[in-house]
Amino acid sequence: MDPSIDTGAGVAGAVTRWRRTARDHLETTPPAATITIASIVVSLAATLVGFLVTSPYTVVPFLGFLLASGYGWVRFQGLTARTVTFLMTVSTVLILCFITVFIFLESIPVLRYESVTVLGVSVPGLRLFTQTRWDAVAAPIRYSMVPMIHGTVMVTAIATLVSAPLGIAAALFLSEIAPAVVREVVKPGVEILAGIPSIVYGFIGFTILSPWASTQFRTTGQGSYLFVGIVVGLMALPTVVSVAEDALSSVPESMKSGSLAMGTTDWQTMTSITIPAAFSGVSAAVLLGVGRAIGETMAATVMLRGVPRLTEPLYNVFYGQETLTSLIANNYGNANGLQMDALFVAGVILFITVLCISVGSQYVEWRMQKKLGGEI
Amino acid sequence: MAGAAETALVREDTTGTEAVAGVAIALAVLLFAFDVGVLFDVVSIDGTIAGIPTVALLGGLLVLLGGAVVSFGVGSFLGYVETEPSPDAGLVAAAVFTLVWFGLGGAAAQAVAGGSLLWLPAAAATGGLAFAVAVLTREDLGSTLPAGAVAIVVGVVYLTGTIGPAWAWNLGFEQQASITAPFLVPVATAGCALLAGWAAAKAYGGFGARGRRMGAYLLVYTNAGAIISVLFVLIAFTAFRGIPGLLNGAAVGPGVGPSVSVLGVGVALPVSVPFVTNGVGLLNDFQGVFPAIVGTIWLVVGAVAFAVPLGVGAAVFLTEYAERGRLTQAVEVATNGLWSTPSIVFGLFGFTFLVPRFAGNKSLLSGMLTLGFMLLPLVLITSREALLSVPDEYRDASAALGVTKWQTIRSVVVPAALPGVVTGVILGVGRIAGETAPILLTMTGGTFVSRDRAADVIGGFAFTAQPPFVTNPELLQATTALPFQLYALITAGVGLGDNVSNPTEFQWATAFVLLLVVLSFYAIGIGTRYYFRRQLRHE
Repeated sequence: MDPSIDTGAGVAGAVTRWRRTARDHLETTPPAATITIASIVVSLAATLVGFLVTSPYTVVPFLGFLLASGYGWVRFQGLTARTVTFLMTVSTVLILCFITVFIFLESIPVLRYESVTVLGVSVPGLRLFTQTRWDAVAAPIRYSMVPMIHGTVMVTAIATLVSAPLGIAAALFLSEIAPAVVREVVKPGVEILAGIPSIVYGFIGFTILSPWASTQFRTTGQGSYLFVGIVVGLMALPTVVSVAEDALSSVPESMKSGSLAMGTTDWQTMTSITIPAAFSGVSAAVLLGVGRAIGETMAATVMLRGVPRLTEPLYNVFYGQETLTSLIANNYGNANGLQMDALFVAGVILFITVLCISVGSQYVEWRMQKKLGGEI
Repeated sequence: MAGAAETALVREDTTGTEAVAGVAIALAVLLFAFDVGVLFDVVSIDGTIAGIPTVALLGGLLVLLGGAVVSFGVGSFLGYVETEPSPDAGLVAAAVFTLVWFGLGGAAAQAVAGGSLLWLPAAAATGGLAFAVAVLTREDLGSTLPAGAVAIVVGVVYLTGTIGPAWAWNLGFEQQASITAPFLVPVATAGCALLAGWAAAKAYGGFGARGRRMGAYLLVYTNAGAIISVLFVLIAFTAFRGIPGLLNGAAVGPGVGPSVSVLGVGVALPVSVPFVTNGVGLLNDFQGVFPAIVGTIWLVVGAVAFAVPLGVGAAVFLTEYAERGRLTQAVEVATNGLWSTPSIVFGLFGFTFLVPRFAGNKSLLSGMLTLGFMLLPLVLITSREALLSVPDEYRDASAALGVTKWQTIRSVVVPAALPGVVTGVILGVGRIAGETAPILLTMTGGTFVSRDRAADVIGGFAFTAQPPFVTNPELLQATTALPFQLYALITAGVGLGDNVSNPTEFQWATAFVLLLVVLSFYAIGIGTRYYFRRQLRHE
């Protein structure tokens, strides 16, 4: 069958079904309720539009929304609650859409500025990645993202080397090994580790670690990817631990008991049953940890040098220049025009990378749940 | 896991040979602890301990440890010790040994030949040898020999003075960097101690399955202990450095504190902490961070007021009304995406979306909403989990009474899920209270703010005849907050001395107050969860 006809029929079917439900709905609900619900939805939509076009009258539809909801709450509580909670759900998705759209819009001018003609076709933004010069003051003005991507990759790689093995071991400890009493102490401890603000980590790194590292490695000036990576790894650790622990404890107890009944030690059970079964969940944990490390801002900002250039040689971890996040935090104050837009390009790169990681890890987790649920 | 730990029936009495392995483990632990002391400069690396130079002492201990491990392995191989070894040491161990010996051989060749590419074959040779020993010989030799030999080699290097306290290796990078003894010695020693300690633990367990369990447990317990001690050291260190600044000028006694009006009667508090109750001003005896604390509180209040109703409402709809399908899936992906979005991206979003819409400059309101956007996914995810964990029996029982769905949700489901929601909100608040990056772009006020410029949101509301009819200048201007204040203090650098007499003390005290505020949120959150869980068990 032609697939386009198939989808066409599917859409038509969906529309008919939707119209039927809507008609049923209209017939069963009193007209006053329908009007109230409609005014709630319309006034909220008007508020949103007013806010987007920066109208000073935005408050009017918002008051209308409050009034309509209040009236609906008194008269048709169930229906109003359902509508309002639905609108709240939609708003969550809307916020994500807005973030995407707005930071993209802001980055367009610099993408246009940095276009390169390849084989007669102008590719916008290509020059951001083909050369390594970032200079917003002296001509030629260039906004290369390469040094910052290099910095982010270095920091993330080191952070992952720290957080992945330690995090998985800690998750194994919490979910399989630790006696109940020890667990009750260690688990909140890991949670609190997640709670220490990143600026405090950064402050300690800046005042204690960076000077120490500078003397130890006899470098010129302070700030090294190595130590930023270690600190960021420590900050990503709680994420890895909690997600990996969830994955490990979601392995059915019957699988573990079956292995133990064969006379294996609990360590053998862990390495040959629990970890392989939870493997995708554990890798999702590491992925999320990577996402955290990529997005970590304050520790990197205060501990790095803030000079956008590559280290020489590229694997020189004893020098730390700039990451995508610290670029934004360092330059937002004195940036305007194209330079500000270039910061938004950094934001777009961060956002897309982390979003892909998040979606990827969700897919991995979803697959694992499906597998463990037995419906392969 | 189920009770798989060894019992007294399985274990025989400790024999003399087991004691050797036990001593080796103890030695490794001692070495590790000693080494941490060297790394943090508690023990000086060029100093002496009981007349022996520190490096030589470390070397001697390493040789001793390596010797004990190797002799135990050889003894087991020759049949003097009763063990149950497997045919080989296992692939993971082999890989680790190969890596370590590859590095060791390469470094040695580099030190001898220098500069040339000779290090590569040398590294390959030693790495290959270690791999062969680990894979081809029986486990008792294969896992002790390479591990013990590393400790012995490194120990001999220390003892002969090849690496002394003044040793340094210039890496010859374009951007100058050297590896020096104060870094290398503790790190290498710690690595050797872990490796040899692991081998010793394996030997203690008699190799085989039980030995491997023993070795792995040693590493896993060390790891857990290390994480907790890092946490403890971080907090204790900040407290230690921050308390002097916090208590600067503090006094306890009747009537020394600022007066508070209770029911119209002015009452002076018996405690006075100027750092918390003062701003920064020329005439102040003691400078403080009062405006930043107020700013943080308002930020949190605003974010909670925005995100909690939205998040809980969306969670209710998703769990109770929506059928599982495209919409719920899309919302789930979106929330998880929002959850992992970097905080600085929220800042950028607030900068382009909110700032131009509120008076065109950075403002408290933009900061609140930006943090609210960050809090939203946390609230949604935790509320959703809490709602899902309410048993379906509750809903069915309520529905059986003939009430509507909404009444069920309002009076059965939400109250039952409330503990989980509250805990989630508190933990989320702890997280956003310490966030710096988003407010950096949306709400940055001055670094040093006097007390009378602290945000007064409640007093700021005013109604006008022109649109937008409600104005609040306090909400529409920037103020300061604790995390931002700390950032500003770090980056301000030199100019700091003009405003506060002791900048370092002031910085640490700010960091400590921030940590206190955030950690108290966490403590309350974890405590609440504990409380509700215990209540649940008692029912």
